[in-house]
Amino acid sequence: MPMNDPLQIRLDVENISVMYGNGHAALEGASFSLSGGTICALVGVNGSGKSTLFKSIMGFVKPRDGMVKINGQPVREALKKHLVAYVPQAEEVDWSFPVSVRDVVMMGRYGAMNFLRIPRAVDRAAVEDSLRRVGMWEFRDRQIGELSGGQKKRVFLARALAQDGCLILLDEPFTGVDVSTEDAIIDLLRELRSEGCVVLVSTHNLGSVPEFCDQVVLLNRKVLAHGPTEEIFTEQNLTSAFGGQLRHFHFEQSTIQSHDGRAVKVLTDDERPLVFGKDGHLEYKNREGREDLLKKRKEEL
Amino acid sequence: MDLNDMLIPLHYDYMIKAIWVCALIGGVCGLLSSFVTLKGWSMMGDALSHAVVPGVAVAYIFGLPLVLGSFVSGMLAAWAMGVIKTRSKLREDAVLGIVFTAFFALGLLLISLYPARVDLKSIVFGNVLAISDGDVRQLLFISGAVLLVLAMKWRDLLLFCFDAQQARAMGLRVAWMHALLLMLLSATAVAALITVGALLVVAMLITPGATAYLLTDRFSRMLGISATIGVVTAALGAYASYFANGSTGGCIVTLQTIVFLVCLIVAPKHGLLARRRRERREVVS
Repeated sequence: MPMNDPLQIRLDVENISVMYGNGHAALEGASFSLSGGTICALVGVNGSGKSTLFKSIMGFVKPRDGMVKINGQPVREALKKHLVAYVPQAEEVDWSFPVSVRDVVMMGRYGAMNFLRIPRAVDRAAVEDSLRRVGMWEFRDRQIGELSGGQKKRVFLARALAQDGCLILLDEPFTGVDVSTEDAIIDLLRELRSEGCVVLVSTHNLGSVPEFCDQVVLLNRKVLAHGPTEEIFTEQNLTSAFGGQLRHFHFEQSTIQSHDGRAVKVLTDDERPLVFGKDGHLEYKNREGREDLLKKRKEEL
Repeated sequence: MDLNDMLIPLHYDYMIKAIWVCALIGGVCGLLSSFVTLKGWSMMGDALSHAVVPGVAVAYIFGLPLVLGSFVSGMLAAWAMGVIKTRSKLREDAVLGIVFTAFFALGLLLISLYPARVDLKSIVFGNVLAISDGDVRQLLFISGAVLLVLAMKWRDLLLFCFDAQQARAMGLRVAWMHALLLMLLSATAVAALITVGALLVVAMLITPGATAYLLTDRFSRMLGISATIGVVTAALGAYASYFANGSTGGCIVTLQTIVFLVCLIVAPKHGLLARRRRERREVVS
């Protein structure tokens, strides 16, 4: 089996502009580069060009100017080598289609199969392996409509794994997904990062971004900012990306009193809140692996 | 009616020929109907089955192969629909309606201009009982070609119907597969037109697939079921039309509709009765 070598993967979006049929610009001179392994969030309001950017990377729309390169080659070449795997939004899928979980994941192997697409032992093994990795092997014979929201998402993630692509695009992966699946997906994306993949996640769920994305591209037709999450995810940048579209909830000193144990608890219905500390530094829920950051903050005090 | 009476149709060569020709076309249409149902192309099937009529007329008038005429007019219609849809703000149903009626009208006009070469009635209502050997050869060729393509490419077409984005992301040529499915439909529409007539082609291209969809959750099984329904109903319909002394197309499509209605009610999982049982169980628990 010709394995795609994830260590080499590199995505270059070079100054691309995309026009809608009505002449309005969906993207204007957007540029950024990523190389593996990284998990990068693509953040912006609705209509900021997130899905257009995805479509350009997958070669569905042709930029009027500029170019997308994958490993230095045009998108078409990368698609032929099935380097690009895509996990669609739940709304894009016909869940009543008569296919089983295993059938869907097997579709990820088509690129590696011959002209007739008859599965070989190696394809079956890849499908089983991918389904086990996302914990869905027991559900392999279910029709895809008979799954919960989180399970559905895992099936399509397994398809991306089976494809063995090393540029993985996820469109709103946490919509309609329970918290435990969200954590499982995040763990899996971290594994892919450590294997050298480029994982690009389009999301409006700001709170989860600092938890698992090491890089961010802020988009509003243009690339407003891109780079490491700590540098890009500032109150100022987010305000300029989202304008007045974010809800603010300030905790002031009067809220965080000593007799409360200097702690507050924030509950939200479905999205993780994004929390900034004093002077606008990012607050993380998960502090493991960020000991150096905590130490630095202590020194500042 | 005793057994001897029931065997009467089989004493006639023309009946035997009609029965196996119908069975073959019914099977091919049945297979394609699974793709049509799942892709949501029922209206497209209807449109194409009317749009091939001028091609058929021209083929008869100039003595050209039917499949050539149907290809050209089917693809022209599909192209015209595509152009009008992208260049105007009309909705798809209006575009389909305008284009297929325009093609059908052109076909009727051509036929009425050359009444000696083409028989209007046999194109609109089909006339498999009087099918010529030349037409049978063409049908065999069309069916063989469609079956061969489906045997090789059904998995690609399945992915195209299910998730065109993924197909494209894996480097499959989606525009080409779109065209391939249209070509298969045009070719099959001509074959079905000869057996059941232009007006009823669309039933052959939808009903077996829709019925099979109610009976299974696996695509490969759906293909088998829809092909079987197509073969059996078409053969039985052709056979029954001898006794009914009625139109073959009418018999075939009526049978298909009966099978569909029975499945709609009693299908084990997706039937109306099963659904009601499930709802009741949910209310109890």
